[in-house]
Amino acid sequence: MIEINNLSYQYNNGSKVLKNININIKSGEFVAIIGQNGSGKTTLMKHLNGLLKATDGKITVCGMDASKTKTSILASKIGFLFQNPDHQIFCSNVFDEIAFGLKNLEVPRSDIESLVNEAAIKVGIEMYMHTDPFSLSKGQRQRVALASVLAMGTEVLVLDEPTTGQDYSEGLEIMEIVKELNLQGITIIMVTHDMELVALYAKRVIIIKDGTVLEDGPTEEILAKEESLALSCLKPPQIYSLAKKFHKQGFFKDSYTVEDMFDEIICYLEGERDASNG
Amino acid sequence: MVEYIQSDSLFHKLNPITKLLWTFAVLILNDPIAIFVILFSNLLIASVSGIIKQILPVIKALFIFSFILILCQIFFVNEGKTLFYAIPYFNLGKVTDIGLDMSLVMSFRMVATVSTIPILMMTTPMTDMVVVLVEKLKIPFKYAFMFITALRFIPTFMGEMEQILQAQMSRGYHSDTKNPFKKLIIIIPLAIPLLVSSIKKIEKMAISMEVRGFASGPRSNYRKVSMNTYDYYAISVFIIIIIGSLLFL
Repeated sequence: MIEINNLSYQYNNGSKVLKNININIKSGEFVAIIGQNGSGKTTLMKHLNGLLKATDGKITVCGMDASKTKTSILASKIGFLFQNPDHQIFCSNVFDEIAFGLKNLEVPRSDIESLVNEAAIKVGIEMYMHTDPFSLSKGQRQRVALASVLAMGTEVLVLDEPTTGQDYSEGLEIMEIVKELNLQGITIIMVTHDMELVALYAKRVIIIKDGTVLEDGPTEEILAKEESLALSCLKPPQIYSLAKKFHKQGFFKDSYTVEDMFDEIICYLEGERDASNG
Repeated sequence: MVEYIQSDSLFHKLNPITKLLWTFAVLILNDPIAIFVILFSNLLIASVSGIIKQILPVIKALFIFSFILILCQIFFVNEGKTLFYAIPYFNLGKVTDIGLDMSLVMSFRMVATVSTIPILMMTTPMTDMVVVLVEKLKIPFKYAFMFITALRFIPTFMGEMEQILQAQMSRGYHSDTKNPFKKLIIIIPLAIPLLVSSIKKIEKMAISMEVRGFASGPRSNYRKVSMNTYDYYAISVFIIIIIGSLLFL
């Protein structure tokens, strides 16, 4: 789906932001990209849909050479949800806003309505179709932006810190929608600082440090590497650190979600109860 | 754009008042020869101040603008000998020698005088400029503040614009159309988000200024900007040049 080979990028002033990046992402994956601010995460993402052109190396997205294809063409395959929905919202009602991408792709008028409705239902904003998007909450505006990307029928969805500026429940709602989309076969690449979200949703984690790939592997494996995380000023979620401490004492496995740990504790306690009863 | 560029050059060290005087002195000089000298001296000053790389694109843009100015001017002068017609067959668009002379001098004068302003901006920290405007020239602080805020926001808005453009391009937006009417419509997806986010930004700024006591009464200045020997030299040079030009040109 996405192949990044020896990708390097430097700004006009000569500073190298990305160095020799090699990443391979298969269709249907859920990847989290983490790292410090300024490590190059967003810069890397902008190469995926041709907003930035690689100085060196090759990047293939859905069979297209991303550094040679126009962003407006890549847009039909790879959707971007930016941190701030206000950078794209400009229409006076939600319907037109969602339809904007479709009109750009010159989708026939007769198809637009059904595609817009479909996308709106996917993100749960179908009741706001005729509302002014600026009167919606930040979380709802973010969902309008998401719908406008989905309507274009993207196969890959890139999320750049999708939950910033929203309250916890709004953030989780967006993530649940994203999870559902992933189950429907859309490849998800998520840039985030929120380790809770990483542990809860991502199947694979890539740590970017100073423009290079520091770690790349399954979520459980990467979250276990506390040294690598510390290098990027990140910490695994608390529940994970707790599980690890127990594990060192010989209790539990290296579990990493609240549910996993709860199950283990219940299992252990039930065993205790049975033992004391029996 | 016209942002302050840090350097240790002599021109940077001059008092903002001296530099303001310089921009006015340039305005007084009217002679065609003087205009070319000014243009040349501006480039000289820019290169000595280490800002030539940033100033050249500005001057290039000014020349494009001055060319438009010539086009607007040249066909409306009737005096003098007719040199040629822009559309010969219909005898339309008469160009006379006086007209050509006048519009050339005018446009070069525009470039020469206007190009001093970005040089002034790039070599003078805005805070110093405000101190001078308010303390020495007695301009009300509110107006001085408005002036520097407007300038300060230009790069911010340009950054914002870039992000908006990228966000719209990710939705298949493309700006490559030849139809001039479509070009006008195509700006809307960029202009509205920019307008909305600027208003939000400015509202936030107004609140953050108010909570820090903006316009609550008399104010003091932390920075002191004083005249040094170079300023007196520079001002004397301006005066000599102006008097000289008045006497001999």
